[in-house]
Amino acid sequence: MLYRIRHTTEYVYASRVSHCYNMAHVTPRNTPRQECLSSRVDVLPGATYSSTRTDYFGNSAYHFEIQKPHKKLVITSVSEVRTGVQAAAPDLEFGISCKDAREAMQALAGSAETLFAREYLMDSAMIKATPELAEFAADLFTDDKPLLTAVMELTSRIFNDFEYSPASTTIATPLADVLANRKGVCQDFAHLQIAILRSLGFAARYVSGYLETLPPPGQVKMVGADATHAWLAVYVPDEGWFEYDPTNNCMAHEQHVVTAWGRDFYDVTPLCGVIYGGGQNPVLRVAVDVTRLG
Amino acid sequence: MSVTQTQTSVITDASQGDGLPYLPNPALYDEAVDANGEYRPHWENILERLKELGPEAFADRESKALRILRDDGATYNIYSEPGSPAHIWNMDLIPMVLGSNEWGTIEAGLLERAELFNLLLRDIYGKRDLIRLGVIPPEALFGHRGFLRPCQGIQIPGEHDLILHSVDLARSPDGTVMAIGDRTQNPSGWGYSLENRNVMSRVFPSLFRDSEVHRLSTFFQRLRAKLNSLSRSNNPRVAVLTPGAHNETYFEHAYLANYLGFHLVQSDDLVVRNGFLWMKSLDGLSRVDVLLRRVDDWFCDPVELRGDSRLGVASLLDVVRSGNLVVANPLGSGILENPVLLRYMPEIGRQLLGRDLRLASVKTWWCGLPEDLSYVLEHLDQLVIKPVYRSLDNPSKYGPELSQQELQQLRQQLLTNGAQYVAQPILEASHVPTFVNGEMKPRPAILRSFAVANNSSYTVMPGGLTRIGVEEKSFMISNQTGSKSKDTWVIASEPEADFVEEHIEEPISREADLISLPSRVVENLFWMGRYAERAESSLRILRTAFIMLNGEERISEATRHQLLHAVSMLTATPSRSTDFQTAEEALRGIIENGAVMNSISGNLNAMLYCANETKELLSSDTFRVINDIRDALATLDTTFSSSLASAPEETLDPLVTALMALSGLTQESMIRGFGWRFMDMGRRLERGYQIAITINSLLVPAMVESDQSKVCEALLLSLEALISYRRRYRARVGVMASLDLVMMDGSNPRSLVYQIEQLSNHIRALPKAPSQMHELAAEERRMLECETTLKLSSLSDLNKINDAGLRRDYLDQQVSKIADLLSGMSDLITDKYFDHREASQQLVRNNWESF
Repeated sequence: MLYRIRHTTEYVYASRVSHCYNMAHVTPRNTPRQECLSSRVDVLPGATYSSTRTDYFGNSAYHFEIQKPHKKLVITSVSEVRTGVQAAAPDLEFGISCKDAREAMQALAGSAETLFAREYLMDSAMIKATPELAEFAADLFTDDKPLLTAVMELTSRIFNDFEYSPASTTIATPLADVLANRKGVCQDFAHLQIAILRSLGFAARYVSGYLETLPPPGQVKMVGADATHAWLAVYVPDEGWFEYDPTNNCMAHEQHVVTAWGRDFYDVTPLCGVIYGGGQNPVLRVAVDVTRLG
Repeated sequence: MSVTQTQTSVITDASQGDGLPYLPNPALYDEAVDANGEYRPHWENILERLKELGPEAFADRESKALRILRDDGATYNIYSEPGSPAHIWNMDLIPMVLGSNEWGTIEAGLLERAELFNLLLRDIYGKRDLIRLGVIPPEALFGHRGFLRPCQGIQIPGEHDLILHSVDLARSPDGTVMAIGDRTQNPSGWGYSLENRNVMSRVFPSLFRDSEVHRLSTFFQRLRAKLNSLSRSNNPRVAVLTPGAHNETYFEHAYLANYLGFHLVQSDDLVVRNGFLWMKSLDGLSRVDVLLRRVDDWFCDPVELRGDSRLGVASLLDVVRSGNLVVANPLGSGILENPVLLRYMPEIGRQLLGRDLRLASVKTWWCGLPEDLSYVLEHLDQLVIKPVYRSLDNPSKYGPELSQQELQQLRQQLLTNGAQYVAQPILEASHVPTFVNGEMKPRPAILRSFAVANNSSYTVMPGGLTRIGVEEKSFMISNQTGSKSKDTWVIASEPEADFVEEHIEEPISREADLISLPSRVVENLFWMGRYAERAESSLRILRTAFIMLNGEERISEATRHQLLHAVSMLTATPSRSTDFQTAEEALRGIIENGAVMNSISGNLNAMLYCANETKELLSSDTFRVINDIRDALATLDTTFSSSLASAPEETLDPLVTALMALSGLTQESMIRGFGWRFMDMGRRLERGYQIAITINSLLVPAMVESDQSKVCEALLLSLEALISYRRRYRARVGVMASLDLVMMDGSNPRSLVYQIEQLSNHIRALPKAPSQMHELAAEERRMLECETTLKLSSLSDLNKINDAGLRRDYLDQQVSKIADLLSGMSDLITDKYFDHREASQQLVRNNWESF
């Protein structure tokens, strides 16, 4: 699938910002099933200096500095991306069992890919493994069950047991609260599933990106109706990474466009930085358009 | 010579002229005495000569050393005592001595280790082959907070990424020297080593000279050369980034910056613009090419590292990445301090260097491995447990010191979070003779070594910083727990050749560098000048009041009132004069009220703070005077109250004298750069203002002639002009002549006109933005107004008394106007020349405890 994605982030400050330094993760990266054909980032009011680099995780990071006093900051990223289905589109009934996968992850010597995947088995800034999290899904990950089957069942369990509720959480809501209240948004569900997988001994990472939404039959799609989205990928020893979307009870497919991945949201924050001035409580508005080109 | 065979023989020796007997503990390795009780050859001469001194002479040398340390401002801050004044650097005068041959072996081990750590750093932020090939488990790296993912792929010019490498060494009972830990992100101690050497060479000049001690200067020359070579620029600007004066090792930061000739800067002195790092200085921004940082990794950049850090520079990492700045040690090098790496050091050595390492590391168990953990749990009471990431709030725990309950807690902690801890055997470090309470005693010692990269390899400082345990059985040796340090002498077997810096060039004089002081430093100098002057004028008026109130001649009620009014005006404290009947009571009121003394000590403390912030610009003579001020200040309250009955003004004299000495020193020994200019501007501005207030508070009310004359005398006395007046007029003191001397006389350096003219000269000499227009700048206009207000006033008008016969209204008007103009002048200077950046905040709060 070929998409054009337009992602606008707007900050309106209570008072003047004299100067700022920011770092943005708003340009889609390349992945085995996705190629970013072109991309451009525009900053208003004009960046005095900017640089683009590939970060530790292989994501594209855009740094910019604004020296002009401003009360409104607008960052617009426009990219064209070609996506495909996940490798092998695995038949969930085959593949490595939970027990074998767990043992392979713990093995003293393994393939380089497995060794490096262990980075995603460990606690990260926003995700800490706990026995309670393991408890939530221990019954699904029985020894002989194929790992991918169990992960899909967990994806469904989160989808069924939790309510999608944008007002219920913020980026700072701890996982324990999400688990207790059974409410959240895509990023909470992604964090939750990653935390459960790690608690059970499997490596999982956070994936941020976009999802093409289709209007109800007969209606025209509204501009800006799409949103940023988040899901996760689980590592299967020696087979690679597989993406699951607990918000939509599915594996990621062609309509899932990846921006960046990392251990959790912290590693791929869309926009962060330091501003001088600005007052309290800036108003943030994000608009995303995912347009299918072919 | 035999020192000891048994305890009794030592005591006998002592009675036979050995003034300082030394009794080693035979169970442990002693650095000075071998197993047969013989002095080791390299120690023999040194120890004998120290012993000859005897305890009294030795204690004398100790006080001399203390004086030198104090004058140099050598301090160390201890974090567990917030608010306490900085401690004088704690030093023992018996050096740690190492022979040339043995040092050769240690040095070879350190060189190899530095090379190894350089390769290790490159691998960690490069391909991570050590993980790929299974040499170290992934968790050892990925689970450590010192692994800074944003630093992936950063490389710096030259053979080495690791510029500085520091190792803590200890000698075990069998005599082998081993590494017990590495310091890489911001190694400290090399400045203190230099100061220890400085003290030793001055306190024991002949012993030092005769002992052929390897010099330290080569190491520092190499360091300077290396830092200069890191930049692409031909004439790079190198700055030392310090967290600030509250940091435990601030002395060292200032000392090194001075010694190496680099700028000392803090977070607010720096700013990133257009992909480069700049220092904010009076004439704008000056580019910084190399940063020697004394700020820990995580705090260096609030954009990519700790978002709430105020110690770093926003976007610093991106400048480093672009190659426009080199930071030493490189950001991210803290990962090399991870003690889990010690567990794997032999394997890492074989992988990266292809051989077994010369220098062994202390045996280390990592509690993240089941087999290591079970060993540790079994031997917990014999081990030291260290967190893999060092922090003040999570100190190492020593098994033998723990109660059963604490051991149980620790066991639980290791079971749930073992990967965050390592364990090591508790070291029985070798002993070294140390001067304790008049005796020579054995104390455990560790040595911190320092290596700096050069073109092809590393240069190791000969010796390093020896630190000793407080007690003979101390486990922990750390400056934070009050350990002393020693100079370390490596005895040369042959005289040293001088190091010649590569590409010898005459240092290029940087015209600009006279201007290019960080604006923060200049601002502190300006305020240092102001506070010093403010304190001085308070002291002078107080002294004048005492002299006159207690004087032989009785003074009238009106005069007394006027004097106390002036005291209250000049010290900005409420007047209490009306509450008291006698002069005696009024004085006591002033003291007991405390406000006046508070205002004086408040100003002096503010001045001392400014002095500390500009430490690197002040000479050690200046520091001696500043120490005198600090001491006089500390005892001011007590000496003052106790001498109230006799001559209280005399207790103020030492402070006034010290302030005069300070002002003399800055006049006579500061380079006439912008630093001096701003300090002098602060002085002139404040003195002018104080003179105006003094005149206003004393001379505006009209008084009967005898009182008027008394008040004029007070004015002249407090402005140091009474003697000149008497020499000039030999007559009773009159208002017109007094005003002439303190306002109009340009030859009197304490006159108002003198301050204003000097200030105008300074303003004219400051850098200005080029402009097409010919109008005067705001501060020039104001100075002109000030000058004309003064010069256009005639003495007879100033002396004119109003119709009611009560006040000199015109004097009041003119002098108040001048005071207002001067105080507004300070705001103009502050706005124009000093940094007043808006507070920064994070766009998105990301204060997550990061992994």
